[in-house]
Order: sequence, then C-alpha cells, then structure tokens
Amino acid sequence: MHSHLTTLTKNKIPLITLVGQPNSGKTTLFNYLSGKRYKTVNYPGSTVEYSISKILGKFAVNANILDSPGIISLIPSSPDEKISVDSLFAHPKHGIPDIVAVTVDASQLSRHLFLVKQLIDAKFKVIVVLTMLDILYKKGIDISESKLSEILNCKVVKVNGINGKGIHELLQAISEDIDDVKYDSSISAKVFSNADDLKANLIESYDEIARIEKEVFFERKISAANGKLDLQKVNESIVVLNSPRFLNKPDAATLKIDKIVLHKFWGILIFFAVMTLTFTSIFYLAAPLMDLVNEFFSVLSDTASNLIGNNWFGDLVSNGIISGLGSVLVFLPQILILFLILGLLEDSGYLARGAMLIDKPLSKIGLNGKSFVPMLSGFACAIPAMMAARTIANKRERMLTIFIIPLMSCSARLPVYALLIAFLIPQDKPYIGGLVLAAIYVFSILSSIVIASLVNKFQGKLIKEKDDSSFILELPTYKKPKLSIVINNTVKNAKQYVMKAGPVIIYLSLVLWLLTFFPNYDPVVDEAGKTPEEITQLKDAERISGSYASSLGKIIEPVMKPIGMDWRVGVSLIATFAAREVFVSSLALIFRITGDGEEDMQNSILTSMREATVGDTGQKLFTTASTAGLIVFFVFALQCLSTVAIAKKETGGWRIPILQLVIFTALAYIMAFITYNGLRAVGIS
Amino acid sequence: MRTAADLKKGEKAIILDVDNSHYSSHRILEIGFTPGQEIELVNKSIFDDPIAIAIRGTIIAIRKNEAVCILI
Repeated sequence: MHSHLTTLTKNKIPLITLVGQPNSGKTTLFNYLSGKRYKTVNYPGSTVEYSISKILGKFAVNANILDSPGIISLIPSSPDEKISVDSLFAHPKHGIPDIVAVTVDASQLSRHLFLVKQLIDAKFKVIVVLTMLDILYKKGIDISESKLSEILNCKVVKVNGINGKGIHELLQAISEDIDDVKYDSSISAKVFSNADDLKANLIESYDEIARIEKEVFFERKISAANGKLDLQKVNESIVVLNSPRFLNKPDAATLKIDKIVLHKFWGILIFFAVMTLTFTSIFYLAAPLMDLVNEFFSVLSDTASNLIGNNWFGDLVSNGIISGLGSVLVFLPQILILFLILGLLEDSGYLARGAMLIDKPLSKIGLNGKSFVPMLSGFACAIPAMMAARTIANKRERMLTIFIIPLMSCSARLPVYALLIAFLIPQDKPYIGGLVLAAIYVFSILSSIVIASLVNKFQGKLIKEKDDSSFILELPTYKKPKLSIVINNTVKNAKQYVMKAGPVIIYLSLVLWLLTFFPNYDPVVDEAGKTPEEITQLKDAERISGSYASSLGKIIEPVMKPIGMDWRVGVSLIATFAAREVFVSSLALIFRITGDGEEDMQNSILTSMREATVGDTGQKLFTTASTAGLIVFFVFALQCLSTVAIAKKETGGWRIPILQLVIFTALAYIMAFITYNGLRAVGIS
Repeated sequence: MRTAADLKKGEKAIILDVDNSHYSSHRILEIGFTPGQEIELVNKSIFDDPIAIAIRGTIIAIRKNEAVCILI
C-alpha cells in the first residue's frame, strides 16, 4: 500500500504550498516564483481564494506552487481561516502538499516561528523561508540559517522576494526535498480537548521558541567583517543578544508616524483627508477615462449600425450587444482607481490604522473596525466588498456588514445620478451638480448608519448570538507601497468584476432589447411627405409602444404612478435589477435614442427627458419632484442581481439576500413616494 | 489585579498571566502575549479604544474589553 502511494506521488507534479502569517512576504515570493502567470480559484463552496501556478520554467523545478490566504495559527478563529487550514491538510483538488514553504518575517521571528512549529508538529515537510531581513539588519542583527535549520530539523533559506536574492538557494532546497518526500499518512494538527491544555501548549511553544531565538541571532558586524560567516564567532556573540528587550522594540519610524496618524486631532483630520482624497480621485480621475470608454462604444455602435444597415440585426448589434458591453466597461476606470488607492493604502500600512480609528464608532452600531475596508470597497462595487467582509471573525458583525453594503453608493449608481442631476440643475451652473452629488453620498452614508443601528437592535432580539465580538489587528510597519504588487491586485480585482458582473449585464441588455424590439418589429407608418429620418423615428416610436416591454410596463404602471413615473421608467427600473448602470442605456433604448454624432448620449437623453410627457395629457413626465424621487429610489434600492447572488454565497443562505431585496426595495419605494409627494406638497413640482 | 487595559500611554509591563476564560484568550496567546513577555502601550485610538500594544517587535491593536484578559 505504501509503495503504491509513493508511485502516485512520483507520477503527479509535486505540490508546494506557501503558508505564512499576514504581512510575511508570502505573496511577493509567490509572484516571483510564478512570474505572475497564475490562476486564482475559489475553494469549492466558498469565496476563500487560492492562487496556483507552475514554478517558472527558468527555475528548472517541475512543481506546482500554491499561495493560500495568510493564517496566524493552525487553530482557526474565523470561517475564512478554517477553510484555509482544512485545505492545507487535504486540499479538495490538489491533495496534501509535498512541501510546505513557510514565509517567516525574520524581524518578528518568535511570532512567526509559532506557525512553523505547528506545521512541523503536524508532520509536514517544511522549508522555512526567512524574509524581511533588511528590517532585521537595520536593527544591527543577523540570523544564522544553519543554526535554525539544525534546531528545527528542516531546511532554512534567506530570500528577498523583491530582487530574488536567495531564490536559487530556495529552489535548491525544494528540489532536494522533493526527491526525498515520503507520504506520511499521519499528517494532522494537534487537537486539544480543553482550554487549559491548549493554553499550556501555546505557552510551551513560545518558551521553546524563546530558547531557539537565543541561539540563532547574532550581531551583524561579525558577518560584515570578513564577508563570510564564522560559526565560532557567531556562537560567541549570540550570548550578547539574549536580552529579549532588544528584539522587542517595534520599528522606531512606525511608532513616530503613529503618534500623528492615531492622534486625537491630527488622526481624525488625516482620516477624513484620506477618505475625501480617495473619493474625489475616484470621481475626478475616472471621469475623463469614462468619457473615453463611452465615446468609444458610441462610435462603435454607430459604425456597426451604419455597416449592417437599418434592420433588426443592425439594431441588435448596435443597441443590444455593443451598448450592453459598453455599460459594463464604463465602470472599469472607477473600479481600477478605487482598488489602486485601496491597494496603496493597504500596502503602506494605513488601512489597518483606519480600521483601528473607526472601530469604536462602528462597534456602537453593531459593526467592527474590520467592516471599514469592505464598506469602503462598497463604494466601488458590492461584489468585491461582500467578499472582503470574510475577514470579520464574528458572525453577527460579518452578516451585518454584508447586510448594509448595498447601501454604500456603488459606482454603478454614478451614471444614473450624473444623468438625473444634469436634468435637475441649471445647465450654466455645473458646480451645483458636484454639491448635489456630495449631498447624495452624505445622505446615503447617514441612512446606512441609521439602518445598521436599527437592524442591529432588531437582530439582537432575533438571533441570540454569543457576543464574542473581537478586534485584534496587527499594525504593520509603514513602508513604501510596492507598485507592481498593488497593480497586480488591482488588475485581478477588476477582472473579477468584469467576469462576475459582465455576463449578467450583457444577457439582460439583450433580453431588454428583445422586449423593446418585438413583436411589432416592422410597424407600418404613414410615410407620405416625410423624410427618411422622420420615418425611422416614427417607426421606432411605433415599435416600442407595441412591444412586449410596453405591455409589461403597463402592468406595473399603477405602481409607478404614485412616485410620478410611467411605464417607460418602470421598465427601465426593472431592467436595472440586472445592474443599476443599465438604467441609462435602458432609458436610451426605450426612448429610442441613437447618438447622432453631434450630441453625445447623455445630452440626447436629457433632451428626450425634457420632452417626455405622461400619456397624451401633455403633462411633463420628468419634473423636479419626480426626478428627485427617482434619485432617492436609487439611494436605497437593491437593484443588482449579482449582489444578491454574492450575498447568498457569502451568508450561506437566502435569508439575508431576500431580506435585503425586500427591505431595501420597499424602503426605496416609500422614500421615493415621500420625496415626490412631499416636494409637490410644498409647491415644487 | 491590573490588566493591559489599565496601562497608561508609554507604560511598560510584564505579562503575568492570560485569563483563559475570555473568548479571545487563545488568539491573544497565539499572537505572542505569553506570560513573561514585556509589553508597552504605545498608542490609543481616538476614543481611547482600541489600544496599540508593542509586543515581540510588532504593534497589535486590540480592544480594551479584550485586553482585560492580559494580566500584568
């Protein structure tokens, strides 16, 4: 049986799993070994991701390398960690790793050796990869890898994942160990039956690590003297460093910066400055890029329409497919910029401080400092935001964070607001638009605070969850962000958005096109004495009023009336459940607007909006009151099927997504009703 | 008995024990708050909570109601 297992291992490509604590340089090393050509996969039935790749050909080691999420210990304390740990012992797809390479921050040896000890005790074949040596050297200390290797009885290498120093030694160690791997079926983590045993074991582990530390550190000047290590001298000097206080001091510059960043006055000021800067850059930096994308797709749509001709197929391609595609890609600039900024903030070390600063206020409304990053991401897109919530260990807080994320004003709402605000404000005063937009954001943040605290109170009575709310977070050393890694992650997140939201949006815009084009696709109109252009417009109008969309819209018209809207807006609002941004293209479709080269899409929609009347009454459809009502509707409504799908996945059931859908949509309707009728009551129609 | 939550800014102390009955005690031990270790309160957040404690060469932000299980 044993020999059979061995052959199996020999035949498959060996698997090397990278394990490490957060901030231990694990991903940097992974990127170096994989050459960034990896694929990111979810563990089955979860949103925890791992990346896998073959080790680059130039390194001449035939093995797969797997990057798993950072863990602190083999005893998991959040669902996210549990999946990572379980998969380490038995990966659902790749089995048990042949080698576990653990990244260890040499400047924080004791805390990081803890995980190494657990892995060795679990009987994994371990290679220790020492990282962050530059920080250690700055303290005037060096570490002897041969000593550490001797004590731990496993290979130890020093690696710089940025410039690749030491990679060769690591690969050497890997190829030696691979030849020598014997599958041991006894791989398992220690299980403790009671809390006291666990505590005793933890303390014992750290005591042992303290003994190891005393033997491996030595003063750096000894190695600098002749360039080569003299073990004898190392042994002599190690004694000097025995005082743990010497290693205990955190980075001095970091402590100084924190004095300001966490200051009662300056800290708050910096926090708001960072937030303001983040949001303004999302809007202002993205705007020209978004215009560019818009322009590109409108030219493409016109070209296609001209090439194919004025028939159903031309209409399908230009209005159905190309516009649908455009409505997905138009948000890409914003999402890229948000993730870029978030990445820079995280890599520099600021995000952890932001989370710490906001923990207290957020805990008052049942959330956690760790809700900060998910909520912030929610302003770009709810999909990555809900996935980011999995770092929150406490279930109740995680659920509540996911619950309120749809209230964060995601970037998909921006084009809708942009259009509706452009309609509301005088054309010669565009700066008012910025103020109105800011007001909408403040309003949506305030609303989400109120709703979170209400839900928190209400839910506290419904679910008697044990209150084990926790906020323990390492404040990493400040450092200059590594742009290549940040960009890499940004691209990964943006891809995720396009792949997840893209297909849904395109299918739905196709369905919408079908509904607006059929069954009356070739209406008969009186062509006498009319120009070809007028005939086309007349035909378009005829076709839409006899379409499926129109019949569908007329069914829901009674619901739309109380908020001052008609069936056309109703159909657009239904279409919006595909994705909010569809609203604009859907209005364009329903009002049959095609860019005519001189006017851009938004202006032609605005013109049609100003001309639109309710039925034959001549009464204007879009008024100040009804448009304001519509904006309020968009603040609250959960109109995004992808969000519902992700919420179901992340919360492990339909309860929360259905509650969200019902509560937020009802709230949207009620608030829009109040806004519309309230404004009319005070004389603003 | 004094706990890490009672520390003043800039104050150092040696950990005597970690109260095992607290729900966060295991995570606290795991990240290195073990008896005999020296800790220092290096910073407080704007509402004096959470607090930032230097331990084993790093800084850990932790809520006061969790720091109470670190006995000093």
